[in-house]
Amino acid sequence: MSKKVISLIIFFVIIPIGILIGATLLEDGKYNLISMFVMVFACIPFFLSFERRKPDAREVLIIAVMSAITVAGRAAFAFIPAFKPMTALVAITGFKLGPEAGFLTGAVSAVTSNILFGQGPWTPFQMFTLGILGYIAGLLGKTKWMESKISLLFYGIFSGIMYSMLMDIWTVLSLGNGFSWIVYGSKIITAIPFTITYMISNVIFLWLLTKPIGDKLERLKIKYGVMQTT
Amino acid sequence: MKSLHDFHPLVIFSYFFAVIGLTMFYMHPILLIISFTGATVTSFLLLKKSFLKSIKWLLPFMLVAAILNPLLIHEGETAILYINEQPITVEAIVYGFAASVMLIAIIFWFSAFNAVMTSDKFLYLFTKISPAVALLISLTMRLVPLFGHQIKKIMYAQRAIGMDPSSGSVWHRIKAGTRILSILISWALESAIETADSMKARGYGLKGRSTFSLFRFDRLDGFALSGIFILFIIQLLCSYFGWNEFYYYPTFSPIVWNGPMIFMTISYGILVSLPIFIEVLEAFKWRSLKSIN
Amino acid sequence: MALIEINQLMFSYPLATKPTLKNISLEIEAGEFVVLCGTSGCGKSTLLKHLKRELTPHGQTSGTIHFNGVALQDLPQREAASQIGYVLQKPELQIVTDKVWHELSFGLENLGYDSMTIRRRVAEMASFFGIQTWFRKNTTDLSGGQKQLLNLASIMVMQPQLLILDEPTSQLDPIAASEFIATLQKLNKELGLTIVLVEHRLEEVYPIADRVIILDAGEIIANDTPIKAATRLRHVDAHHPMLLGLPTPLRVHHALKQSDETPLTIRDGRTWLEKHYEKDHKQIQEAEPSGEVVLDVQDLWFRYDRHAEDLIRGLNFQLHQGEFLSIVGGNGTGKSTTLGLITGLLKPHRGKVTIFNKLLKKYAKKELYQGMISMLPQDPTTLLVEKEVQLELAMMSKDQTAIDRVINLLQIRHLLAQHPYDLSGGEQQKVALGKVLLKNPKILVLDEPTKGLDGESKQVLARILHDLQSQGTSILMVTHDVEFSAEHATSCAMFFDGEIVAKGTPAAFYSGNHFYTTATNRMCRQLFEDVVTTEQLIARCQSQQEVMTHV
Repeated sequence: MSKKVISLIIFFVIIPIGILIGATLLEDGKYNLISMFVMVFACIPFFLSFERRKPDAREVLIIAVMSAITVAGRAAFAFIPAFKPMTALVAITGFKLGPEAGFLTGAVSAVTSNILFGQGPWTPFQMFTLGILGYIAGLLGKTKWMESKISLLFYGIFSGIMYSMLMDIWTVLSLGNGFSWIVYGSKIITAIPFTITYMISNVIFLWLLTKPIGDKLERLKIKYGVMQTT
Repeated sequence: MKSLHDFHPLVIFSYFFAVIGLTMFYMHPILLIISFTGATVTSFLLLKKSFLKSIKWLLPFMLVAAILNPLLIHEGETAILYINEQPITVEAIVYGFAASVMLIAIIFWFSAFNAVMTSDKFLYLFTKISPAVALLISLTMRLVPLFGHQIKKIMYAQRAIGMDPSSGSVWHRIKAGTRILSILISWALESAIETADSMKARGYGLKGRSTFSLFRFDRLDGFALSGIFILFIIQLLCSYFGWNEFYYYPTFSPIVWNGPMIFMTISYGILVSLPIFIEVLEAFKWRSLKSIN
Repeated sequence: MALIEINQLMFSYPLATKPTLKNISLEIEAGEFVVLCGTSGCGKSTLLKHLKRELTPHGQTSGTIHFNGVALQDLPQREAASQIGYVLQKPELQIVTDKVWHELSFGLENLGYDSMTIRRRVAEMASFFGIQTWFRKNTTDLSGGQKQLLNLASIMVMQPQLLILDEPTSQLDPIAASEFIATLQKLNKELGLTIVLVEHRLEEVYPIADRVIILDAGEIIANDTPIKAATRLRHVDAHHPMLLGLPTPLRVHHALKQSDETPLTIRDGRTWLEKHYEKDHKQIQEAEPSGEVVLDVQDLWFRYDRHAEDLIRGLNFQLHQGEFLSIVGGNGTGKSTTLGLITGLLKPHRGKVTIFNKLLKKYAKKELYQGMISMLPQDPTTLLVEKEVQLELAMMSKDQTAIDRVINLLQIRHLLAQHPYDLSGGEQQKVALGKVLLKNPKILVLDEPTKGLDGESKQVLARILHDLQSQGTSILMVTHDVEFSAEHATSCAMFFDGEIVAKGTPAAFYSGNHFYTTATNRMCRQLFEDVVTTEQLIARCQSQQEVMTHV
């Protein structure tokens, strides 16, 4: 329980304060640097709690498998451009295996795909965005809400918007004017086609995959007794 | 002498951290040009052909950024025309151009970083932050190509019984792709148990795990790291005194070539050109070695 | 004091009605090379897992296991992990990290050694195993044999006293398998390492073992030197399926009921045959396959990339109605590529493939894969997606009578309600074959169907293939399994360097080869050139015995 409190404090207290301090110390207009640091620091508490817990081999491996599938799964849909199951896979992992596994799967798949396809200033953003989407899915998964198609629809739309919005922050910041709502707004508008594709693919993949993957993860829990306590 | 690739991961990371951080920080046109030039030459030296290929799509991007900024930002004193009664200013155009130069410099620095910072170096550093997560990444790195290979096998097998994801309607392709993913996940999760057994069989989970790497920190690494550190501190001090300040709005601040500015420019220039210096020296050394042998 | 002492070990899995292991008592001395064998499901893997504490399955256990005189469960964790090494079946699934050097150091990292020690031990092992040339490679880029060698080496760096291996060569091609076994023998002879090996390909390991333990339904039925263990097995049950897995010289010796010393190796087998029987080469009947040509491959050329080298160079062959053609050949000669070309998955840049007198490329996909040609992939799991076997079949066809027919042919009715991943490898393959057969192929293509199967499952597969053949299906198989191909195919062909270099009936084909032939033929080619299978050899020897007794 206390672990969750700590991470919640980090989210809602430490990060905003960090941004504030960074903004005042570094003067105006250096949001691009600050935001990168914030994103990196936001991931650390999750990593540390995983570190402290001394996870069991099967648990480590299942998170690695889900992360690797999230990265490699793009290949299965090479035939349909801009239509990728990454977010859906991270969310499903969160639903079934809990917030921590959700965060790690998101963050690790982002790092790995960046190691393989090239790092960029967006790496911390992608790590955090996918991670937090997995984390939220994990929290939602503990309730019974995520069993209906409608809530999957909402989560798909929500995560599509979240992904787009969080990733666009960097694009805006990279323009160097500091953060401006006008620029951000216009960026989000130009990104609408992408956001819609994200949303549609998220919803479709959540609908098609939540059940089969969920069953497979459940089977693993029962047959091999992995990740019983999440 | 070593080539850039042979330095200790910590040295490489510190260097790119300093250079990319400063590039993001400086909007001063002289400093921007220095970083941009350094980034271009470095990534050309490291990537050669693939660098030349990547330039193609960057030029239009620069132009778009230079046009987009004045359309959205209407600050600045020198208006050249009005659109919908909003001024388009020279300052905003120049600023947009400068911002895109910065962005491209960052992208070039990152592509050089990617060329030097191979996965094992990256993981080495990550191990220092979080060994468990680093192992998780290492496992994932190992599994991605394995799964990629398995996806190919599955697709092949599915096509040979007429269940093809590469043809038919979009919905059919999505269904077929999802089936492939589902087959992969079954296989991957069941196989994971065997891999976990192999980890446990080799003592994973015992207390006091150590980490091993092939990297060694030698004297040259020490020199390089302290050099980078000193140059970085100099830059931080210069910025602290505000020598890097430059304003685009309401209009450009003047560039004054006084002592501090010259000092800052030269020391930044040294920092930015370190990899070029190392690569060129290395090339010369090999040429002379070749002529001896 | 023995290295391992097992006393009255009993074990049953949760919810199981029968115990998996019954009254197991045995001792293994330091430095012994022990082979453990038995049919699938006899409990050999379960027994092996009991020797490695970290992998011992959950369930009801009684009895004791001592390692060096210490009860296994009292062994300190660190010692348990390092002293007992375990190598599993599938090479690629045991590899944990992405770099060869990191894989080698993984175990030592877990044990918490410092960098200096790890560096030295890793260097030592890499040199012993000849890994230094691929030390810095990615683990993905290794061949199957290299992967398994790496797995072995990364256990050996922990300097174990006991090495346990569960069918380590079942996924390797014959050449890599022999190399692996040779390495094991070297470890045993040169380092005095104690080895316990579970294997179903006994031809090579049987002669080098110090002791053979045979399990049957959870009990030890033989525990003796290789020769005595085999004799004992025959006394327990003259028709025990394990007998089929024994090395050829032993089987022949047994079948002919000779009482002198039993030969174990091909060399001894040959001397023994020559002592007892007389030279009798028979004229080999060259029979051209008859029947309609169903698949005609003419002058096929293929490469993966415009700038790559040709992998298939002017390939020509024909498959006739009801023929069972088996193509053998080494790794990377283009066998699998050929299967891709004739099933339309790959496109040749020259030449043509004709199926039932119509060019392959003229077929619509639906028409081709629905009733013309289907391929059973090497890895059956690439076809398995559902939660139950019956759903797997139901997704292929709506015709219940067709499904019933396939179920009866494959005899998988008892598996219908099970999860595909709870089945053994052989059973998974039957289900995958069922899915393929529901497409009603007139030409069935098989890619290495016997890989990883034990002797009994191979017999079952052979029966199914014979049934299909008698119903008029033409079969094309690519395999490394020379024995299976000699016993069951109607014609055999050798693939080399992108084309077929020899083709003929099994007898003509294998007796024409000198090295690439069955163990039986290698043993008896001096006496009976035309004999390629063990059954033929036994029959030939028996007829000579009869003649001699009559005279």
